[in-house]
Amino acid sequence: MTAWLARRLLWGAATVLGVLGFLFVLFFATADPEDIAKRALGEKAPPEAVAQWIANHGYDRPRVWNPADPTDTMLFEHYRRMLAFDFGRSDADDVPIAQRLRAGVGVSLSLTVPLFLLGIPLALGASLLVAFFRETYIDRAGVVLAVVAMSVSILIYILAGQYVVGVLLRWFPISGFDIDPAVVARFLALPVGVGLLHGLGSDVRFYRTVFVEETSRDYVRTAFAKGAGDGRVMARHVLPNAMLPILTHEVVRIPGLFTGALLLESFFGIPGLGSMTVDAINANDFATLRVMVYVGALLFIAAQIATDVAYTVADPRVRLG
Amino acid sequence: MRLAAALALLALACGNNPYPGADDALRVLYTPYSEPPKTLDPQVAYATVDHDVLSNVYETLLEYHYLHRPYELIPALVTAVPEPRRLDGGGVAYAFELRPGIAYGADPCFALGTPGATSRELVASDVAFGLQRIADPAVGSPVLVTFAKIRGLAAFGERLAQRRAEQPGFAALRIDEQYRRAGPVEGLRVSDPHRLEIVLDAPYPQILYWFAMPFTSPVPWEAVAWYDGAAGRPLFPEVAVGTGPFRLARYDKRSRIVLDRNPDWWGVRHPEWKAPAATYPSDGEPDDAARGVLDPHLAGHPLPFLDRIEMRLEKETIPAFAKFMQGYYDRSAIPKESFDRTVSEGRLSPEMEARGMRLERAVRPGVYYLGFNMIDPVVGAPAGERGRKLRQAMSLAVDVPEFLRVFLNRRGIPAQSPIPPGIFGHDPEYRNPYRSLDLERARALLAEAGYQGGFDPATGRPLRISFDTPDTTVQSRLRFQFLIDGWKRLGLDVELAATSYNQFRDKVRNGAYQLFFWGWVADYPDPENFLFLLWSEMAQTKSGGPNTANFSDPRFDALFHELKDRENDARRAALIREALALLESERPWIELFHPEDYALVHGWLDGLKPMGLPVPVWKYYAVEPEARAEARAAWNRPVRWPAYALAGLAAAGLAPALATWRRERRA
Repeated sequence: MTAWLARRLLWGAATVLGVLGFLFVLFFATADPEDIAKRALGEKAPPEAVAQWIANHGYDRPRVWNPADPTDTMLFEHYRRMLAFDFGRSDADDVPIAQRLRAGVGVSLSLTVPLFLLGIPLALGASLLVAFFRETYIDRAGVVLAVVAMSVSILIYILAGQYVVGVLLRWFPISGFDIDPAVVARFLALPVGVGLLHGLGSDVRFYRTVFVEETSRDYVRTAFAKGAGDGRVMARHVLPNAMLPILTHEVVRIPGLFTGALLLESFFGIPGLGSMTVDAINANDFATLRVMVYVGALLFIAAQIATDVAYTVADPRVRLG
Repeated sequence: MRLAAALALLALACGNNPYPGADDALRVLYTPYSEPPKTLDPQVAYATVDHDVLSNVYETLLEYHYLHRPYELIPALVTAVPEPRRLDGGGVAYAFELRPGIAYGADPCFALGTPGATSRELVASDVAFGLQRIADPAVGSPVLVTFAKIRGLAAFGERLAQRRAEQPGFAALRIDEQYRRAGPVEGLRVSDPHRLEIVLDAPYPQILYWFAMPFTSPVPWEAVAWYDGAAGRPLFPEVAVGTGPFRLARYDKRSRIVLDRNPDWWGVRHPEWKAPAATYPSDGEPDDAARGVLDPHLAGHPLPFLDRIEMRLEKETIPAFAKFMQGYYDRSAIPKESFDRTVSEGRLSPEMEARGMRLERAVRPGVYYLGFNMIDPVVGAPAGERGRKLRQAMSLAVDVPEFLRVFLNRRGIPAQSPIPPGIFGHDPEYRNPYRSLDLERARALLAEAGYQGGFDPATGRPLRISFDTPDTTVQSRLRFQFLIDGWKRLGLDVELAATSYNQFRDKVRNGAYQLFFWGWVADYPDPENFLFLLWSEMAQTKSGGPNTANFSDPRFDALFHELKDRENDARRAALIREALALLESERPWIELFHPEDYALVHGWLDGLKPMGLPVPVWKYYAVEPEARAEARAAWNRPVRWPAYALAGLAAAGLAPALATWRRERRA
């Protein structure tokens, strides 16, 4: 187990270093420090101000190789800062990125955690129901609805949700956010609802297959033969045995909770890390973008390791080594 | 399950109001903004949204008269608009007299100067400090080029940079100490706490316009020193410490910005001054009375009328407009999707009129144009007479009225020259002979240029010209295709090269482009601010300046040189006419249109007159909260029956299966 963990961590570290290098190359293949400066200062900025901005932000160093001082390059500085978790300031407005992260992560979690926590029981409940009534009209209608639901783009859900619920029915605000506990629920109701509805289709399709496969196994027949009730068989026998694919499916989603929901946040005006990433891309904000990519990569690798560990808990036959 | 149902009911009960209900009785302005401000540092900020926020907190020495057009300067923090005083040796001096007794809004930073203090009086050295910051390389102000005209200011910045580089520990000194040690600026003379004289090396009358822009706002050194990002304090660009009518109460710029009325504002404390910048004007343009901006509850009253300004980030136009329609924003731009529903033939639709809305139209002091890269061998100056005739022909094939009709719902007026209405030198009677659609003449000119029927004799194929743009959206592709189709009718093969912003910048740097689409909005209302876009010293490829057409013509330069620093007199008007005549035939630009803004305003918001310049206007706005609360209640009654219907439908769907299951179980 220890050796396995060490190996995985080593691979993870190599991956993160690769991701950082890849990001640097990709970004600077298409953008110049001058472009970043022009975005930050505006098109009207005179060349002197642009040059000054580049110097103030350290983009006047050689990119990869400096014969005089190999540590005085943009690439070296890039790695040094990321590995030391010294995130620095945003290229767009000089706000410390760590402060941005702290402010944004709570907002993102307030959207993604309810989405995640409500989504699992909803998807599992719906799939258990459909699987239980398989080969009836409920199963067929459920599958048709799920296929339709997963085929529609989330943008349609967002726009239709805003129009139907916000404009026609006037149940909730169309968009917006306010962390004030008195009003936060009314802002989250619609994006969470839209997110749940959008996720439900593919989840039900996936879990139904898992459950249908499980319910046709021998131990299920045995359980019924012993006289266990329908509810008990589905909840106590089928559900734990279907845990492996559920874990794989759900645990990898956890890093996404922190990095936010890009489209939901953008369209509902929720100032979390997802919309922050979109803004950074639009603003040529390299400093913020690399932090988001770096943090995302770290979380993803952590989640992968956590999934593997969770297998051993869910299924004692699995051994890591 | 019961809990979830209870939560859902609770949420349903509160409806779609995005604000806590307690705001209903306050005089609050609710306004959306589409992207977060980059900085609130007045010496750096250049974006409209930055100015929207900071110009309510920071004030300037001068402002513009709210109603008069053409634009007219009025004194704000000073007692009078200064007159230039000629000095021996070619210099010019302006003496600003600050009103005594103006205090900063309360802020903890003032304890740095006097322990325990939360405010202090505005003094002339704060104005000088603000101007010195423009020269400070660490501040990174975009306008040093202009203010370098102040004697010794640029040298001050260089001394500062030098000391920071050479003396260890210098950069760690408190900012006022650094500036003191770097030595005085000759052109900034503070003779007593309320008097500042600025000295320019040469006449530059436009400098006064700059004193109505946020760049010249006085700044207390305490704020710069205190807000340094250390010990959990924000950075200076994220705060605002000024003397203005509002103060920054909340700055979550990625979702919400709140400005509260400043109870200590000098305009509120001293209504007896009747200061022009603190009193709603009593006279305006002839049609202002009809617009309702001179109503008795406004005219002559002390400012401001609002208690609070609530700004919410709305990146997408459709939800922002929907909330405006629900009464949750007081005014709104009109998204393209909703245009036909709201406006027809330049007037408000009956549906909107029934809701008590108004339509505000204003031509912005700006110009959109197509530019030729004048150093290009085919379309530019190196092609000589052929190039000129080609540009003239292409100019004659652009149908701007149709362009405005198809793409902008007629929001704009066709441009005849770079100078927009409301700016000295704009002649509404002037008709540019190359700025109307005339395909016959265009074909003739093309033939004279040697491109008979659009064919390039060198290749035997239609002449290929590339139209370079950083805009890759579908909408702009359609717009550009419209222009390209116009030239196609001459037989020219114009090819759209839409690349990323970064690649476009590369092309511009290398001069590898032929034709581009660009726009410019005035910083200040002076023709110089438009004609300098064609001055050879501003050439983009050579010097990185905003002359993206790389136009370079000694005749134009000579005219521009003489007109740029002149007062608005007859000679200047003649020089402008001559310069425009030159542009008329040289055609470095195909002037397209001056943009016109349409805004919808609810009936409960008064005192609006569009300015078109980045100046504080919100202090002139007035709102009737009772009327707004009534309208909101009437327009937003939730429709609940679909929730019950949906629940019923789900139950009905499940019932037969459940019934079968129970039957089977019993069996």
